[in-house]
Amino acid sequence: MAFYITYIVVAIVLFAFIALFTLFAVYSERKVAGFVQDRLGPMETGRYGSLQTLADILKLVQKEFITPSAADKVLFAAAPVVIFIAVFLGFAVMPWAPGLAPAAVHLGLFYVIAVISVDAIGLLMAGWGSNNKFSLLGSMRAVAQIVSYEIPAGIALISAVMIAQTLNMQEITLNQGIHAEAPALFLGIWDVGDIGGLLAWNVFQAPHLLLAYIIFFIASLAECNRAPFDIPEAESELVGGFHTEYGGLRFAFIFLAEYAMMFLVAMIGVVVFLGGWNTPLPNIGSLKLAEWTTGLGWGIGWTLAKTLLVVGVQLWIRWTLPRLRADQLMSLCWKVLTPLAFLCMALSGIWRVWVIGGG
Amino acid sequence: MDMQTIVFYSLAFAAVFSAILLVSLRNIARSLFLFFVVLFAVAGLYLFALADFVAITQVMVYVGGILILMLFAFMLSNREMFRQLQRGTAHFIAIPVWQALPIAILFLTVMLYTALHVGRNEPPWITASREAGTVIRAADNTVEQLGVHTMTHYLLPFEVVSVLLMMALIGAAHLARKEGDA
Repeated sequence: MAFYITYIVVAIVLFAFIALFTLFAVYSERKVAGFVQDRLGPMETGRYGSLQTLADILKLVQKEFITPSAADKVLFAAAPVVIFIAVFLGFAVMPWAPGLAPAAVHLGLFYVIAVISVDAIGLLMAGWGSNNKFSLLGSMRAVAQIVSYEIPAGIALISAVMIAQTLNMQEITLNQGIHAEAPALFLGIWDVGDIGGLLAWNVFQAPHLLLAYIIFFIASLAECNRAPFDIPEAESELVGGFHTEYGGLRFAFIFLAEYAMMFLVAMIGVVVFLGGWNTPLPNIGSLKLAEWTTGLGWGIGWTLAKTLLVVGVQLWIRWTLPRLRADQLMSLCWKVLTPLAFLCMALSGIWRVWVIGGG
Repeated sequence: MDMQTIVFYSLAFAAVFSAILLVSLRNIARSLFLFFVVLFAVAGLYLFALADFVAITQVMVYVGGILILMLFAFMLSNREMFRQLQRGTAHFIAIPVWQALPIAILFLTVMLYTALHVGRNEPPWITASREAGTVIRAADNTVEQLGVHTMTHYLLPFEVVSVLLMMALIGAAHLARKEGDA
């Protein structure tokens, strides 16, 4: 029985972490926006506005549940839950540190990609359930975008998996550091298994994996509906997109899911391409930096640091680039990213067979 | 009753109950979303058969692809077209659905026969492989074996399927093309 209690505790800890991260991310998002637009951002509540998001949450929790009279009541109420759970399930297989993952399954990466696609069903549910033209249009746009961008994202991940030879997220991470069981080859020639650090990460295992990571990063922005791909909730065209009719705690859940999705896709990129919990510091001669900075605490620290860095880039991009038009969005996906992702996959096959050799 | 049995029966109940609700609902949008529950519950049941790859593929292909396509088709179609479908018949057993009856009875017979016959006396090949130790365990890496077998033992069916999919892709592209461009 203690076995099951552990699972429940892990789930609660993860949920608490996501809520905490969202609080922090909303605050930093507003501060980054302020910095980019040359203003101060929230300043009134708390020192430098640090309690602003806490106050916002307090307001959202107190609000009344409002259901439009023409809405499909069941679908309208279920949608935020489905959206959040789809993202939350993804966290089940993410490794945090050596030997520390909620569930280390063999098909981890495949599972995450599959579970993320459930998110689209929740969005359609919200759009249809609201019985509002803007909501429906927003959810249609969101789903068209998510379904399209899943292809380059998935294929970019596959091209890294072909080099790593496993779908187990924990093993993918393990093989990018000093504890690697398979030889970690920098650019396919130089065995850096003992040196570790930055050089053993998957992005540097083969030259085209850097391109694959860039493709994955762009596609992941579209998958969590972030600018420059935020046409599903384009305020100037669609009021608020699929969550126009939502308020109070339900809106809070949709928002929570959005920020959890940002963290999740950033973390997938970090685990598959950027070494996961491995340290960026290499062993230099007798200066065993990599060995000193690998461990349980260090692992969690590195995962968090890298993921938050990627989330920071997401925020920076959101407030820098303008929104794409719907047709530009589709042509970017199908005419640029998808062919490039296929090229990466073909290169990975060639690289695996003729450069690394053996299997 | 341990945890596994409880989870198994709750998944089975969810699958059967929502499937019955799905075919009896008159609201097509809700039935489509219920189909999602059915697919998810069945994917859970696949896990109990140690077919984790099949379970995840089911979620990915059916939920992430086919179900979304169905929802799109539903939401973009003319409402009048569905009037007829939504009305249906009020009686439990009606003439328009009599074809379903023999199929359902046939399936039930097959399942009952298998459950009663195989459940009581185990086939010799299962006993043999259990004694030889050639069985899949929960912790085994199934995807590796699937990959190796697809590329060696089942290469011909795999290629035939890929040719079929290619034909479907070309057909879809041809249908979607605007008239007069060719």
